[in-house]
Amino acid sequence: MSVYLSGDFPSVEPATKAIRDLKSRGYGLGDLVVFSDEPILFPPGVLRRPSHMSLTAVLGAITMFLLASGFVYFAQHNYPLITGGMPIFSFWASGIISYEFTMFGAIVSTFGCFLWESGLIRKREDAPVPPIQPERIHLRVRCRPEQTDEANHLMLRAGASEVTRL
Amino acid sequence: MAAAPEVIIPYHEVRDDLWRPLGPASNRYWIALSVAFAVAAWGILCWGYQIYAGIGVAGIRRPVFWGFYLVNFVFWIGISHAGTLISAILRLTDAGWRKPVTRVAEAITVFALMIGGMFPLIHLGRVWVFYWLIPYPNSRLLWPNFRSPLVWDLTAIVTYLSGSMIYLYLPLIPDLAQLAEETKGWRRRLYAALSLGWTGSDREWHSLEFAMKLMAGLILAVAVSVHTVVAWDFSMSVAPTWHSTIFGPYFVTGAIFSGIAALILVMTVVRRALHLEKYLLPKHFNNLSKLLLLLSVAWLYFTAAENLTIWYGNDPKEMQVFGVRTRGGYAPFFWFMVFCNFVVPFVLLGIRRLRSITTAAIASACVLVGMWLERFLIIVPTLATPRLAAAWGHYAPTWVEISITCGTFSAMVMMYLIFSKLFPMISIWEFEPHPLEPEEE
Amino acid sequence: MAIDLDRCTGCQACVVACHAENNLPVSDPQSAAIGRTVHWIRVDRYYEGVFPEIREKHMPVLCQQCDDAPCEPVCPVYATYRNPEGLNVQVYNRCVGTRYCANNCPYQVRFFNFFAPEWPEPLALQLNPDVAIRMGGVMEKCTFCIQRVKRSKNDAKEEGRPLADGEIQPACAQSCPAEAMVFGDLNDPESRVSRLAGSGRSSRLLEELGTKPKVFYLQRGK
Repeated sequence: MSVYLSGDFPSVEPATKAIRDLKSRGYGLGDLVVFSDEPILFPPGVLRRPSHMSLTAVLGAITMFLLASGFVYFAQHNYPLITGGMPIFSFWASGIISYEFTMFGAIVSTFGCFLWESGLIRKREDAPVPPIQPERIHLRVRCRPEQTDEANHLMLRAGASEVTRL
Repeated sequence: MAAAPEVIIPYHEVRDDLWRPLGPASNRYWIALSVAFAVAAWGILCWGYQIYAGIGVAGIRRPVFWGFYLVNFVFWIGISHAGTLISAILRLTDAGWRKPVTRVAEAITVFALMIGGMFPLIHLGRVWVFYWLIPYPNSRLLWPNFRSPLVWDLTAIVTYLSGSMIYLYLPLIPDLAQLAEETKGWRRRLYAALSLGWTGSDREWHSLEFAMKLMAGLILAVAVSVHTVVAWDFSMSVAPTWHSTIFGPYFVTGAIFSGIAALILVMTVVRRALHLEKYLLPKHFNNLSKLLLLLSVAWLYFTAAENLTIWYGNDPKEMQVFGVRTRGGYAPFFWFMVFCNFVVPFVLLGIRRLRSITTAAIASACVLVGMWLERFLIIVPTLATPRLAAAWGHYAPTWVEISITCGTFSAMVMMYLIFSKLFPMISIWEFEPHPLEPEEE
Repeated sequence: MAIDLDRCTGCQACVVACHAENNLPVSDPQSAAIGRTVHWIRVDRYYEGVFPEIREKHMPVLCQQCDDAPCEPVCPVYATYRNPEGLNVQVYNRCVGTRYCANNCPYQVRFFNFFAPEWPEPLALQLNPDVAIRMGGVMEKCTFCIQRVKRSKNDAKEEGRPLADGEIQPACAQSCPAEAMVFGDLNDPESRVSRLAGSGRSSRLLEELGTKPKVFYLQRGK
């Protein structure tokens, strides 16, 4: 049975110290989540979460490029009609279509990856969310019941204004 | 000249100011919305009449088969580059001053694209079979002709519209989550549904910022291609003076130019109507005015290059069009266009003492008129002066075309009014300087 | 087709014949004033020289049935394409009405039905049943009287003989009193039209655009 603590920090430095302290005590990145009403820029390496967005975007782009070029090739040859002496399929003439679909693929896969990686469309874990105050940083720590005091102490020592149990 | 010290506005005041427009509407708002709706509805009725009676009620004829509708099409697609420039280019170059301006610009993009995308349908002779341009398996075993620039148009605009809508939606999610907590009733349901359960966790923020950075680059790539493709509707043709390689860059530059002008104008109105004087500062207008001036010079460069090349080349058929455009019947429009697009911005914005929010708005309105005329002067004189002189003709719009044109401007106003009532025009999380950031720069 | 400009008198019998044969819509004065008349073949009049040595040249201009037609690749729905016989065909029931093809035709021989065509009585009684009537919103142009081409080919096949040169006569060629218009098979080097096309007097209209038109104009000293 996990216990959730929420530490309320006034700025980035104490929050960073708290995260570093907790990580050195064995807490993983899955146990630590930072909540805020605007994006917080932590020093590099503190809260690094792996992201595959670039790769997804590129893969999406390549997929749509191949699909679009293949489709145009198929469609032009499926019922070939001569127009203006142009070849039935010309890569340059269909290049625009391929390009637009490549971009479309990249855009849609970026958006989809965002929805997935942010966790917005995944099944939610039933972890409580601390109420977010403007201009404050909230660090939610998941710990075992016997670690509650230790986590509490670490956050207060790092500079939290208060630590509440969710 | 030292910069004025930044006024730090307390957070609660910021939130109240930015969310106050979402409250109950004033009488002025309802009047404005009703008028906009009435004119837009009249435009749609006229379109219905045109479908019923035949496209002959418009002024198009032989040889000017494309008239007001295509002018409007290119014009609105051009306006849609407002959001792209501001959001994407300035985001990529990390220009911090752009932050309050992004949503205003992105909303212009989405609505301008929606309106611009209507015009290829409006100008069709048989609009009820427009779906034949979309590839789908059918009993005739036919596909659309992918070699046609019009099918390229369709693809490009669909891609750009979906990209812009995603690009408008992404930064809106955190704002909607905050709004959902503060409102009640149908608004709360709407915002909660649209914010997808955003909680503000660092994973969500990191994903969002990375996605927006990627989207900025992608949208920029798409936007350049979209207006290039629209330009290629003309330059892929053999009509005199249309078959020019400069059209792609010319149109993109003109699009960004008219986009900035539309943005300045909309910002002026939004600033006054929503009482955002503390947020849309003179420095924003100053920077945008400088951009407008820069693009005015760029537009002049392209126009001069194009016309000089035509004149110097002295191709007889092209010189016919050139003569008609600069010395003949269309000359008043041509020189008025140069006046609106270059002289007015240069004087009003180039002379520092004259540069202000009001003059920026005046210059922008002139630029919009000028850019509309530029599209008109690209399309109509060439079509009216084809290679075989026996087929020369004239063009005059009818009340149907004028009504539909006014209707679309009105539809833009209407959609914008509704948007500004439902969603905050400046996003709080982007606007507020980050007091929580570690010391850098 | 070969058209001899030295024989053309500008009488416009070809225009009238085309109207009658192909069910061309009749324009009212208002449409005519703004340029919405439909003449699949028209006679252009050029004045050359200075008074008193003025020469008037009459040039019948019809769809040139180009081999590399600029009107074809720009149609988004394949409403116009080159059929295996080499004709540039317009498919009326596929046309969506974007009118890009008309803009791209350097000869301006394409005509759009801005309204559904009408014929005041009693002209409606003399429509040719072999030719389809177009609806409003659809592009049309000269078809080289494809209905006559098909009829002659069918007759020849039924009778089990090859087509004779000069057997197919489009309405314009048939009606020309000066016999200025010759129609035939350009693939057959012995046909009259091939020999005229190869003559020293022949040239093509706007040839420099690379459209490869199939109508050859014969005139002295071009």
